Amino acid sequence: MTRLWMTSARVAGFLLLALTSTATPAYTQSLFNAAGLGTPVDALDGRARALGSIGIGLTGGSMMQTDPGGLARLEISTGIMAASPSWIDYSASNSRSGTFKGNRFPLLGIAYPVLGGMAAIQISSVLDQTYEVTRIGETDLGDGPVRTSDAFTQDGSVSNVNLGFSRALTDWFATGLTVGRFAGNLDRTLVRAYGEEGVAGNVDTYVESGVWSWTGWSLTAGASADFESLRVAASVQVPSELSGTAAADTRGSDRSFSIPVQYRVGATAVLGPSIQVHGSAVFADWSKMQDDLSSGYAKSGSGYGMGIELSRARLLGKDAPLRFGFRQTGLPFAFEDESVKERILSGGLGLVLNETAGFVLAGVDLAIERGRRSSANLTENFWRATLSLQTSGF
Amino acid sequence: MDGRKLVSTVLYQLLRKKKSLRVFGEHRRFVVLTMLGLLPLITIGCQEQIPVALDDQAVPGVPVSVTVEIPWTSFGSNVEVFGGYGSAEEIGSGVLAEDFAGTLNARTLMRIGAYPRIATVRDTTGASRPDSTLTILGGRFVAFFDTIASTNTNPVRLALGATTEAWDMATTSWTYAVDTINDQRPWTEAGGGVVTPLGEAIWDPSLGDTAVFVLDSVQLAEWSDTTDLSIGARIDIIDPGHRLALNAALIRLDARPSSNPDTIIELTALTSGSTFIYSPFPEPPPDGVRIGGAPSWRTILDLQIPSVIDDVPELCAVVSCPHSLSPGEISYAALVLTSRTTELAFQPTDSIRLDVRPVLDRAVMPKSPLGVSLIANPFGRSVSPEAFGGSSGLEIEIPFTGYARDRLRGKDASGDPTPGTLALLSVIEPFSITFASFEGPSSAGEPFLRLIVTVGPPVELP
Repeated sequence: MTRLWMTSARVAGFLLLALTSTATPAYTQSLFNAAGLGTPVDALDGRARALGSIGIGLTGGSMMQTDPGGLARLEISTGIMAASPSWIDYSASNSRSGTFKGNRFPLLGIAYPVLGGMAAIQISSVLDQTYEVTRIGETDLGDGPVRTSDAFTQDGSVSNVNLGFSRALTDWFATGLTVGRFAGNLDRTLVRAYGEEGVAGNVDTYVESGVWSWTGWSLTAGASADFESLRVAASVQVPSELSGTAAADTRGSDRSFSIPVQYRVGATAVLGPSIQVHGSAVFADWSKMQDDLSSGYAKSGSGYGMGIELSRARLLGKDAPLRFGFRQTGLPFAFEDESVKERILSGGLGLVLNETAGFVLAGVDLAIERGRRSSANLTENFWRATLSLQTSGF
Repeated sequence: MDGRKLVSTVLYQLLRKKKSLRVFGEHRRFVVLTMLGLLPLITIGCQEQIPVALDDQAVPGVPVSVTVEIPWTSFGSNVEVFGGYGSAEEIGSGVLAEDFAGTLNARTLMRIGAYPRIATVRDTTGASRPDSTLTILGGRFVAFFDTIASTNTNPVRLALGATTEAWDMATTSWTYAVDTINDQRPWTEAGGGVVTPLGEAIWDPSLGDTAVFVLDSVQLAEWSDTTDLSIGARIDIIDPGHRLALNAALIRLDARPSSNPDTIIELTALTSGSTFIYSPFPEPPPDGVRIGGAPSWRTILDLQIPSVIDDVPELCAVVSCPHSLSPGEISYAALVLTSRTTELAFQPTDSIRLDVRPVLDRAVMPKSPLGVSLIANPFGRSVSPEAFGGSSGLEIEIPFTGYARDRLRGKDASGDPTPGTLALLSVIEPFSITFASFEGPSSAGEPFLRLIVTVGPPVELP
């Protein structure tokens, strides 16, 4: 029976590994993608989302790159995949409004016990940069004004491929180190068309485009400590410059951006056999990147989150901890010289699909978030669901 | 990764591999149901919609579009006019002229097709049956004219004659009855030789488009031999000062069937071909551009797209000048020709449709093959006939943006070198005796190149 379990678990593990290896860098969506280097995307699982967490200091093990110390708490091989569809409606000061939606996979990862600790490979999202915009104008080509339509499309993202190792040095203290490499591409294309929309004319379109590949490194060190009823964790992510290297046929130049050092702290207190309270915070001063930007404004990206987990809840005869949270973070990039906050109320539950000897072999965490990003001229309200599937023991 | 594909892959593997399902033991059904229940959530969210930024400032840089006119000397050279493409026979219609515009004489020659040898007639008993014993009693030669393309508005007199010398449909001309390799035979009398007069007719365009010549049975019997190369009909116009366009002709035969001798039936014989001969043959223009005619004229020119643009203030405000032009910056390119009055005798009466094709090997002109048309419209660039008469001096643009880009790049999309010689010609060769005329180099309306250049700053990172 044990062999059968192991065989089946390996199949599931390999399946998850295959999914991980074929996944493209993930990102989410927002109109603020058009500001600066885009909108940050947190590589969080469903549990962290539901608790409003920054991604550190949660009880149990953690596959999130933001919590290297939590990796050692996994104890057995684990794979995780998170999917995150979102539905956004927006309204702008110029009376424009609308909706859009999208689905992203912000976290893919697999961990395996090595050298008395846990080693992990993760692909996580960093910045979402996709948007498009059209500018209508006029130009005189000799026979009077002609309508011009400049359609600009930016397609790409920054992601992070991480290799981490974490080890519990004592029963109550674990530390970890993650080395990450920035990856991804950015394709920026401007197409000017002449004449009325839908009317074919003699004047061909003008296309100016550039493709850059993102490179850079990051080093994340962290630790977590368990006290009697308290888990405390902290991490620091020290990135190198984020370098955009232009492709051979790109007229645009190479650029580098100074990604700030990001500090994260988090703690979870077990108030009783069925109640846990969680809080976490991130400190990152993206405004130092302002000098690197040619458009948009760089601001502080600090924030905090807090939540509560009711772990005794059950659903359909299964353990289904209920979670609620609140989170507020600053967007690092804005259109105007003002801070833009993202505020989220969240809720969710976990479903333990299979558990043996205290180890969760298969589980699903679901989070539903209702949030708002608001600046002086633009407000986004969004619903976001995050579903993460975690399997262990392969 | 596409969301639906990911989910379907997971479910497929879970449902297909029994061993995998055993991972979840007795909870298998619960796992599957849970995944299926969450599937709509993912699927609904999988519809990607790229956010549309609200602010024009999110567009990096502003391209500038300017129109640049390049003079002939900066892009063109070696204009040459070639004639003799095709023959009048290929048009399939005729031209009649007598001292038109003080110069042009034209006559139409036609071959008579085989007569019908059998007809279904009603015999004396009232039954219809085929009758192959027909006695031709007489007939009429009916000519159909193009009332719009013909220049006359009043009745004109026409003459029909039977040719008496052997002539070749494809090579005959005003001077020669046959003009092929190793066989050049002039007409005994220029203009179609001596003909046997068959009568006259009057065509009044106000009454219709047909003219009818009455024929007797003797003449019709002579025309029934289709193997005799001297047999044919020639139509002349008698009244001077007109040019008529003859669309077609046929013969109405009056025949008596043997099965019912009291009845006269009418049969139709078609012409098997037609051509026209004319004089004088126009000389190639020494200083202009000619397109069309029959046989057709083509104008060949060498063309180079300038790789550097300077002294355009709007452009130089955006980029440093002189500016090296790149193919992608050419949004529009056109050769602009200025029409001029064609010799009156050959002035178009209908639209001329121009075509532009690359000359693949100028060294073997006039026999060089041509590349595909550079004009998107399969019917070519249409120019009204007035441009070559009362409204001459019109600028006619012939766009070839794709070619201009390839020419500047030096190769086309397939990587083949782009020919530097273009041929200006009629879409259909030959199409008409008339041709289009344009000003050539070194004249006031010499050809020039019109470019719309769009230049923008390079797209940079934010």
